[in-house]
Amino acid sequence: MSDALRDRIKDVIDNEPVALFMKGTPQMVMCGNSARALEALRSVGAPVSAVNILPDPDIRQELSAVSGWPTIPQVFVRGELVGGADICEELLASGELGATLRTKLGDEGLTGEERVVDVLAPAAS
Amino acid sequence: MSAESLETTLREAFPDATELAVVDRTGGGDHFQVILATPRFDGVPLVEQHRAVNDALADYFNDGTIHELRIRTKGTR
Repeated sequence: MSDALRDRIKDVIDNEPVALFMKGTPQMVMCGNSARALEALRSVGAPVSAVNILPDPDIRQELSAVSGWPTIPQVFVRGELVGGADICEELLASGELGATLRTKLGDEGLTGEERVVDVLAPAAS
Repeated sequence: MSAESLETTLREAFPDATELAVVDRTGGGDHFQVILATPRFDGVPLVEQHRAVNDALADYFNDGTIHELRIRTKGTR
């Protein structure tokens, strides 16, 4: 189970343009720090593929093992760890967050679309 | 866990820090704010700066002492 879950988490990190591992979902955020990261991403029009880490403690454990980052939220753009809420807010304030996303995703990639990815379910093929 | 203990740990990890403060944000001993400036962070991406702080405090994350850590870091240039 653990290996499958870790592979699924890696799959989300590597293949979603912007992955946000958070407490709750964009529709029902369960933590102020997850809200801060989400709002920073929203304000630059980022597409957000959100993973709720709350349903199973293994999600957070495997995620931190993969990323080497102890806290939630965690934001990845094109497979690369951007950081947590503090970094997202700081990069938003300096303009780097929008610039990085435009560089990596292109203007047309900034769709602002939000979806929830369930890492406990098998990947849709 | 006291903010002073975290500050001591960070002082040992970053003896060259020009600015270092740890604040207990809620008074509950588990939500902290770290402020740190060190020449070691000159030209280093934020994500790696924060990773260095997290790594220095890894024991406190692993044993569940730290529930939340806000981090503000910079170089000295």
